Amino acid sequence: MRSPETYFKIRKLKNSLFHLVVLISAICVMAPLFIVVAFLLQKGASGFNLDFFTNIPKPVGEIGGGMKHAIIGTMIMVSLASLIAIPIGLLGGIFLSEFGKGKIATLLRFATDLLTGVPSIVIGIFGYLLVVIPFKSFSALAGALSLSLIILPIVIRSTEEILKLIPNHYREAGLALGLPRWKMILFIIVKGHLSQLFTGIILAISRAAGETAPLLFTAFGSLYLSYNVKAPMASLPVQIYNYAISPYKDWQSQAWTGAFVLITLVLGLNLFARTVFGIKKLRRK
Amino acid sequence: MNQDIILDVKDLNAWFGNFHAVKSISKSYKKNTINAIIGPSGCGKSTYLRCLNRIHEEVPGAKVSGEAIIDGQNIFDPKADPVEVRRKIGMVFQKPNPFPAMSIYENVVIGLKLQGIKKKSFLLEQAENCLRKAALWDEVKDKLNKDGMSLSGGQQQRLCIARTLAVNPPVVLMDEPTSALDPIASAKIEDLMSELKKEYTVIVVTHNMQQAARISDYTSFFVLGELIEHNLSSEIFTRPKMKQTEDYITGRFG
Ligand SMILES: Nc1ncnc2c1ncn2[C@@H]1O[C@H](COP(=O)(O)OP(=O)(O)O)[C@@H](O)[C@H]1O
Ligand SMILES: [Mg+2]
Repeated sequence: MRSPETYFKIRKLKNSLFHLVVLISAICVMAPLFIVVAFLLQKGASGFNLDFFTNIPKPVGEIGGGMKHAIIGTMIMVSLASLIAIPIGLLGGIFLSEFGKGKIATLLRFATDLLTGVPSIVIGIFGYLLVVIPFKSFSALAGALSLSLIILPIVIRSTEEILKLIPNHYREAGLALGLPRWKMILFIIVKGHLSQLFTGIILAISRAAGETAPLLFTAFGSLYLSYNVKAPMASLPVQIYNYAISPYKDWQSQAWTGAFVLITLVLGLNLFARTVFGIKKLRRK
Repeated sequence: MNQDIILDVKDLNAWFGNFHAVKSISKSYKKNTINAIIGPSGCGKSTYLRCLNRIHEEVPGAKVSGEAIIDGQNIFDPKADPVEVRRKIGMVFQKPNPFPAMSIYENVVIGLKLQGIKKKSFLLEQAENCLRKAALWDEVKDKLNKDGMSLSGGQQQRLCIARTLAVNPPVVLMDEPTSALDPIASAKIEDLMSELKKEYTVIVVTHNMQQAARISDYTSFFVLGELIEHNLSSEIFTRPKMKQTEDYITGRFG
C-alpha cells in the first residue's frame, strides 16, 4: 500500500509534467514568429530608409532604388480586392447567420469552407483563366480578383460567427419595436457590432496583403510605378520573391527589407484589429 | 363590442413543435388597466405574452392558433402584417437590453428613426417625453449621448421602457420586467407602471405576488398553459375562487 502522501506526490508530478509539455508546445508555436521577426530585423533593417519607400527599382547593375511601386501596387490591389470582397462577404455572412437554415445556406457554408481551403496558387490560376486570358494581358485587376477570393471566405465566416454570438433577445427587441426584419438586422444587429465585424475584415485584409501565389500569374509584377489596373502591377510579396531569387546582392538585401516591411504591415494590421477593436469588444460585455 | 375592450384574446393556443405550451386562453383586456399574469415557472406565461405581439413565431417550429383582436383586426389573420401588429403591441423584455453601440438618446428614438422620421426637433421632444414617462429623464438628461450600456441595470430597463413607448403602442407587454433588478430599481419601475396606465394598457408577467397585488387591476393565474382563474386583483389575492390559486398565492405550491 502506498501512503496518501505518495499518491499526492505522484499527482503533483504528473501535473507539473503536463504543465511542462503545454509550456513547450506554446514555445514551439511562438518561437518561429520571434525568430522570423528577429531575423528580418537583422537582415532587413539596414536597407530600411526613406529611399526604400520613395524610389522605384534602378536599372540592373545600378545600386539603390526602392519598392515604392510595389508598396503602392499592394495597396491598390488589396483595396480593390477589399472593395469586391467585403460587401459580398458581409452580405454572405449576414445571410448565413440570420437566414442560414435552408439548402442554399448549407451549400454556401460548404463552398465557403472549400474556398478557404483552396491553395492560393490555384486561386491565382482562377484569376489567370478568368481575366488574364480573355483580356490577353496580366493585370492588377486579375490580381485584385484573386486576392478578393482570399478575403471573401474569411469575411463570410467571421461575419457569420460574430453575428451568431449576438443573443437573440436583441433581435426580438428590434422586431418588437415594429421594425421590418431587414432594418432590424442592418441597423441594430450589424450596426451595433461594427467594431467586431471590422476585426474580422482587417484580419482578412492582412491575410491578402501578404499573399504571393495569387498574384504570380495575374498581376505578374512590374519594375515601374503604375496606376493602371489593366496593366501588370508590382506588389510587395511578388517583388520580394523576384528580388530574393535574383543573383544580385543589392536586390537580395532589398528583398529582406521588403520582407521586413511586409511583416510589419501584416502584424501591424493584426495588432490593430485585435487591440483597438478587441478592447471595445471586451468593454461591451 | 364593449368600447372599453382594447384587446380581445379568444381561444389562443401555442405550440413549440408538438409541445402544447398555451392552451385555449380567452381573455379580454380593458383600456388603461394593468393586467398581471402569475403562475409557476414554465406554465407558459412568457409564451402567451410573446404570442400577443407575434414574437412567438420567431422560434423555429413554433405555432399559434386562435384570435387576438385589436382595432377590430385579428392579429393572427394571414393578412395581418406582424410589423403593424408590433407597432400596436410593444414589448419590454425580462433582461434589460439597450441596443449596443447606441447612445441613450439613439436607443429611445431608434424605432421612430427607422420608421423614417427624420425631424430632429420632433425626435428630441419625443425622447424627452418618453424618458420622462419612463422616470429616467432626470437621471440622464445631461448625458443623452452616453452609451446606453453605461447605465445601471434598473436604468437600462427604464431605457428599454422608454424605447418601447417611443413608437407609441397602445398596449405594452412586459415579461418579468423587474426580475433582474434589485428591490429599489424594481420599485421605481412599479411606480412608473402605475403612471403608464393613464395612456397605455399594460399586460405584465410577474413572479412576484406582492408586485401583482400592488400594481395590477386584474390578475390571471396560469398553470401548465391553462388560465385557471382571472379576476380583479383585489379579489384574487383576497378571495381566490379556486383551490389551486389559493395554494399558489399563499405559497403552498409553485
Ligand atoms: N424555445 C422553446 N422551445 C421549446 N419549448 C419551450 C421553448 N421556450 C419555452 N418552452 C417550454 O414552454 C413552456 C412554457 O415556457 P414559458 O412560456 O417560458 O414559461 P414561463 O414564462 O411561464 O416560465 C415550458 O415548459 C418551456 O419548457
Ligand atoms: Mg417566463
